[in-house]
Parts: sequence; C-alpha cells; structure tokens
Amino acid sequence: MRIRVVAFATAAEALGAAEQTLEVAPGARLGDLRATLVARWPALAPRLATLALAVDGELARDDRALADGCEVALLPPVSGG
Amino acid sequence: VPLTDRPIDTATLLAEVAARSRGAAVLFLGTVRDRHAGREVSGIAYSAYESMAARILAAIERELESEASDLAVRIVHRLGEIAAGEASIAIAAASPRRDAAFTAARQALERVKREAPIWKLERYTDGTEGWREEEPLAAPVR
Repeated sequence: MRIRVVAFATAAEALGAAEQTLEVAPGARLGDLRATLVARWPALAPRLATLALAVDGELARDDRALADGCEVALLPPVSGG
Repeated sequence: VPLTDRPIDTATLLAEVAARSRGAAVLFLGTVRDRHAGREVSGIAYSAYESMAARILAAIERELESEASDLAVRIVHRLGEIAAGEASIAIAAASPRRDAAFTAARQALERVKREAPIWKLERYTDGTEGWREEEPLAAPVR
C-alpha cells in the first residue's frame, strides 16, 4: 500500500521534506507505519513521545488500520493562537 | 473562513456575530509579542495543516454555540509571516448576556491552542529563528 506522509514544523525538518511517500505491507496499521518512519528517519525518534499522528485529517492511535492512498500527518506539539 | 493569509478584518468578524438579540459582544485579539524568553522577536511565521485546522476551528465554533442559547462564535487564525504587534488570531463571541460571551471567547482560545494543528516559527531580530512547541496536540474532550 502506498501512504502519503505529510509533516509539519520540526517533523518536516526531521524528514527533510514536507511530504514523502511510503510503501507499507497490506494490512499495516498506524503503529507499523510509525516504526517504518523512525527506521527511515532516525531524527524522528526523540520526538515520538510528543508527536501526534492523524489519518486523513483525524487524530488516530497506533491500532488504526491504514488504506492504500491514505494521508498520514505528523503533528508536533502545537503553538497556535 | 477560519484561516487567512491576510491581516484579520475584525470589523467583519464582529459583524458576523452581531444580532439585535445579542447585547454582549466580545472581541479577543492575540497579537505577536516583541519578545519571548528574553529574546527580541521581529515576527512569527505561522504554518498549519490547513485542511484539518480549518475543520477543527469550525467544529470549535459549532460546539461552543451549541452550549448556550443564541450564542455566536467566530474564529479567524492568520497564517504566514506576521510582524510583532499584528494580530495572529481573532475571536468574536456574541450572546444576549455578557457571561456567555466572555466564557465562549476564552474557551475558544484555549481549545484552539490545544486542538488546532498550527505552529509558530519565531523570528528574532538577530536573524535567527526557532520553532515553538507548546502543547502536544489533543483530541477534543467531550
């Protein structure tokens, strides 16, 4: 399955880009993608504890099933307002 | 429109919540401070996960409005480069009574700060910059 990864603020810096495409195995869940991300971009590792993940614009937990073509967003601690 | 890359038009925002039945209107402005942690700030570059942020700001408006009778709430967050002294967020709340309007404006701001995927990149007068990470993004508490 092909997953579109979009990253913001310090997460984009860790990925070196605001957007990446990743291939994951059929049936993969968000937690599997998280492990794939850290393996490929180790700079994300120290940020994982506070990094929120969203699937197609909705905050999601690691057991969330992924679908081909979905968008996963990496969202560091926020500072709006 | 909850997100804009232009200066915020507060008169239009207030007009959107105004009604003859609403005798109390509150306008909150958050502006870019000229210093942070002892450093001089020239401005802030705001960025957002825009599709999600727009949906969350609209949901905050709708949910606050459902909690009080005849309450109207509008939120606008500006994105892009904002100079010190200019507004980054405006919240207008209007209600028949002042308590509900003040409370809603306050709650709207606190919820935006926790729930909206928006980030500050502070730019300092010495030419350096730094990301501000304040609160892990939270799902709405219902």
